[in-house]
Amino acid sequence: MTSLAYTLPTGRLVWADLLKLRKRRGLLVVTGLLTVGTVLIANIVSELLHLVDPAKHGPAGGVTMLGHLGWTIAALGAVAATIAGAMAGTADEDAGVYRELVVTGRSRLSLFLSRIPAGLVFVLPFVAGAYAIEAVASVALAGVHPAPSVYLLTVSGLWVLLAATVYFLLAYGVACLTGSRAYTIGIVLAVRLALTPLIASIAALGVVRELLPGVALDNLIPAALGDAARQGPPIGMSMAATAAVLIVWTAAAVLVGGWRDTSRDA
Amino acid sequence: MNTSPNNFVVETDALTKRFGDRTVVRDVRLQVPRGVAFGYLGPNGAGKTTLIRMLLGLTSASSGSMRLLGLAVPARRREALARVGAIVEEPRFHGHLTGRQNLEIAAAARGQAAYELIGSSLEEVGLAVRAGDRVKTYSLGMRQRLGIARCLLADPELLILDEPMNGLDPAGIQEFRGSVRSFVERGGTIMLSSHLLDEVEKTCDHVAIVDQGRVIVQGSIAELRNNGKPSVLIETDEPARARAVVAALPSVELVTEDGTGLRAVLRDAATLPDVNRGLVEAGVRVFAFEPLRPSLEQRFLEITTRLENAA
Repeated sequence: MTSLAYTLPTGRLVWADLLKLRKRRGLLVVTGLLTVGTVLIANIVSELLHLVDPAKHGPAGGVTMLGHLGWTIAALGAVAATIAGAMAGTADEDAGVYRELVVTGRSRLSLFLSRIPAGLVFVLPFVAGAYAIEAVASVALAGVHPAPSVYLLTVSGLWVLLAATVYFLLAYGVACLTGSRAYTIGIVLAVRLALTPLIASIAALGVVRELLPGVALDNLIPAALGDAARQGPPIGMSMAATAAVLIVWTAAAVLVGGWRDTSRDA
Repeated sequence: MNTSPNNFVVETDALTKRFGDRTVVRDVRLQVPRGVAFGYLGPNGAGKTTLIRMLLGLTSASSGSMRLLGLAVPARRREALARVGAIVEEPRFHGHLTGRQNLEIAAAARGQAAYELIGSSLEEVGLAVRAGDRVKTYSLGMRQRLGIARCLLADPELLILDEPMNGLDPAGIQEFRGSVRSFVERGGTIMLSSHLLDEVEKTCDHVAIVDQGRVIVQGSIAELRNNGKPSVLIETDEPARARAVVAALPSVELVTEDGTGLRAVLRDAATLPDVNRGLVEAGVRVFAFEPLRPSLEQRFLEITTRLENAA
């Protein structure tokens, strides 16, 4: 086996890292509730309200509801991805198993890289499942409202998955850097849920606001969903700037986390 | 497979580790021969674990060089560690996974050949029946056996074990001793660190004595014992007078109280009858006169006492 091959994560390593995540019942339950559970409950409640009082409550489907619940899935999917990223980045170290893996001779970079696909394979199916439920509901329960097109459903789904991926990578990098699950979840969620909307709403900051990953992600919200899928005011950014912000943030998090993970004493 | 071209499975030269101003491992030149149980013996804080962590690539050396199975580390660490099993401090696992799943994770890091050894490793340590249970339900002894099973996935030429007897009950220690001898008889080499002199003496063939980060002496246990001073245990009902008589003899270097009697350290084993004659001629009643076989503990204390006196 060449040195490069030994540095790249193998399928078995990815499977092993996935095993560590999916066998945690608490993580499974929380991730399921934040994604699939929330969408199911929201749709059931909306439809029941509509059935009980159609004059007051509109149908549970349609483009507007897709926008509202699309935002919810993106927000709670980011929370789930943050928790999964923090867990993936700290589980071996917390259990004291990291050194046991290092003494096998396997490269530390390989151990670091394998957790990324494993974590995404763990969290993205939950987010995709939640979105699939919402996509079906938005069409099937549209009633008098316009149903979303296949194109809108597709790009909205990709946006939701991208948001979860970005927050997973950010959390994973921060977790490897700090070595603390609690700090990681606190830092990333504070940025996602509090600081981003706050800074985005301060118009005086101008272009500085565009440097936030949350603002860049909001810029990718399909226009057809309108303000229903938006937390703050729209901030116009070019596609190139949007891509650059997201790539720089995630690459920086992964690089710094990877440097820390591969250079510290095991 | 024998990956080492020479007779030493571990070699270090001028190996040093510093944490800030503190030197934890100091100019260590260590040679662990192939096919022995080698004890790395020293008091707590002597730098034993740090040396093992450097050998395994868990922490970097400040200076010096190391070879494992004849391969320079860290340059050829991957090849060297492929045939090394190691437990540093206590074996650690993911408690929410089963014993078998924990071994599968280790095997995923090692490669396909390790997967094929999972079943036999579990059998060998007697955990096949409990392999499907979560590790958090295992006792300390079971975790240590699972740690050994994880080492066996490497089909190791060399086992490096850090304080492996910590926390074991007497039966566990005896079982461990048997496992060590069995592994060595099959051609393997074990390097274990310990502060338990008696256990190292019973388990190992070779030893290095380390103190304050330095290797003081190394060699076979038989050699170290032979280098020790001969001594004799004297039981009498007149210890004060006996002590005065024995201490006055030119062939006696040191006399100490030793619980049941006096212990006289001699300059030369050939002068043993002179001590006996001196006591008889002085009219001291002697109930027992027992030449003592030099122990590793005695040798260790001689060496460390000499160091303290020199300091």
